[in-house]
Amino acid sequence: MLTKVVIFAIFAISLDLILGYTGLLSLGHAAFFGVAGYVSGIFMVHLNVKSVWLVVPLSVLAAGIAAVVIGYLALRVSGVYFLLITLAFGQMLSIIAIRWRKITGGTNGLIDISCPDLGLPGFTWTSLSFYYFVFLCFVICFFLLYRIVNSPFGRALVGIRENEPRMQSLGIDTWAHKYVAFIIAGLFAGVSGALFASFYGIMVPEHLGIMTSATAMLMVVIGGPGTLFGPVIGSLIIIMLEHYAGIYDPKRWPLFLGCMFVICAIFLHGGLGMYLTKLWRKRRSCIWL
Amino acid sequence: MAIMTLEGVSKSFGGLQVLAGISFSIESGRKLAIIGPNGAGKTTLFNVLGGQLPASGGRIRFMDQDITHLSPSRRLHLGLARSFQINSLFPGLTLLDNMLLALHGARYPHFRFFRSMKSRGDLYSGAEQIMRSLALLEMSDSPVSSLSYGDQRLLEVALGLASEPRLLILDEPTAGLSTAEAVNFEKTIRQLLGDATLLFCAHDMDLVFNLAERILVLYYGKLIAEGRPEEIRANSRVKEIYLGGRGV
Repeated sequence: MLTKVVIFAIFAISLDLILGYTGLLSLGHAAFFGVAGYVSGIFMVHLNVKSVWLVVPLSVLAAGIAAVVIGYLALRVSGVYFLLITLAFGQMLSIIAIRWRKITGGTNGLIDISCPDLGLPGFTWTSLSFYYFVFLCFVICFFLLYRIVNSPFGRALVGIRENEPRMQSLGIDTWAHKYVAFIIAGLFAGVSGALFASFYGIMVPEHLGIMTSATAMLMVVIGGPGTLFGPVIGSLIIIMLEHYAGIYDPKRWPLFLGCMFVICAIFLHGGLGMYLTKLWRKRRSCIWL
Repeated sequence: MAIMTLEGVSKSFGGLQVLAGISFSIESGRKLAIIGPNGAGKTTLFNVLGGQLPASGGRIRFMDQDITHLSPSRRLHLGLARSFQINSLFPGLTLLDNMLLALHGARYPHFRFFRSMKSRGDLYSGAEQIMRSLALLEMSDSPVSSLSYGDQRLLEVALGLASEPRLLILDEPTAGLSTAEAVNFEKTIRQLLGDATLLFCAHDMDLVFNLAERILVLYYGKLIAEGRPEEIRANSRVKEIYLGGRGV
């Protein structure tokens, strides 16, 4: 379960770059997660390419290409239209995954995806070693995104979120900034998708669609958009709840998820991350005093 | 030397013509005011000049370059900066962050992913210098929404000035300020501006006649008079349609 938490944490922080930092409401972020997952599955199942050094970069690249195309079209518009276009792309890809049975396995999903080969002689995956591998990927992604959001580029994204027309008149090409942020977010979502395919061993069309996108959005909203550790906490909470709800009553999990959405939207503006940040600042100022 | 020249600039929204063939030029180092009653098209004109709205016709030349179709960010990098009539700040961010964004946009337009903002010492020293000249240094870590309205108006102008523009366009810089506040504001603005070329519009006639070296009068999208402040003061047409015949 912890492996799944960490995989979704990567997915959620990648969404946070566009949702929390740039203020772009996307309901199609699972497209990149799913594309990378399917591509890595296709490489391993159909093409028999098993090396992690080939499979992961190529699937991340595929997610990146999807982001280049989707971002180029979706960023022509803004606000609710942007949300609808990203949603439509996610749903279209999931329809393709259902229809293209020969390659994707249709509604049954692409099965028998194995863990990619690390290329170390005598090494075989255990669930613990895979967890450490995923955790290492998470640390790298977190570090890179941390550097990005604290760079001038990342600060400019926050400026775009706060007041895009003013950023334009201050000399920032806001379209290019949003586009690049969208592609970066797609690449990181691709990392999580590729890891997920190996971890789960199966990719189904829903992994490209709205449910997966909405789950990631909920993780960001619960944890705190605009903070990097917030979505990590969000991922921990959602995956744990999903796990225990699954034991108790698996069929009603979506209902439960929906209720969480409503509660968060009403009561949790700024997310748990905001409360934790305040608490942390309070403690720190106490120490200094 | 003319820094900016407008040749027959027009702007229509559907069938409504808001600007009809505006032509004038601004000399480098001069301060030019545009006055006109509400609805004359002043803000539309500034939006066309700043690139916020596309012109429907005519040409805008800036520093010997046709900028009619350039984006606001490209115009800024040529040296054309502006402020807005209604505060357009980053209210959720601190004063320091507002200044840093303005300086960053002007100095480093290209993508920088992995360098920390904090490693850019020149941005911090630049921001500190501007905040000191606004006498707002002690507020640097406060969110902009907590500043007084007058200070927010100053910041609005300071964001435009951060890029050290060749031409600064100020849209109603004293809008919403009390008379006393406006007097202080004018003093600070004069210091900040120095020798910069300025194009501004205002309803505050004291500001217009104190600051401007030339005045243009806009009325229903047309320029009806142009001249030195004393000429405008004496112009009978201006008195009639704009000042209600009372004089200034």
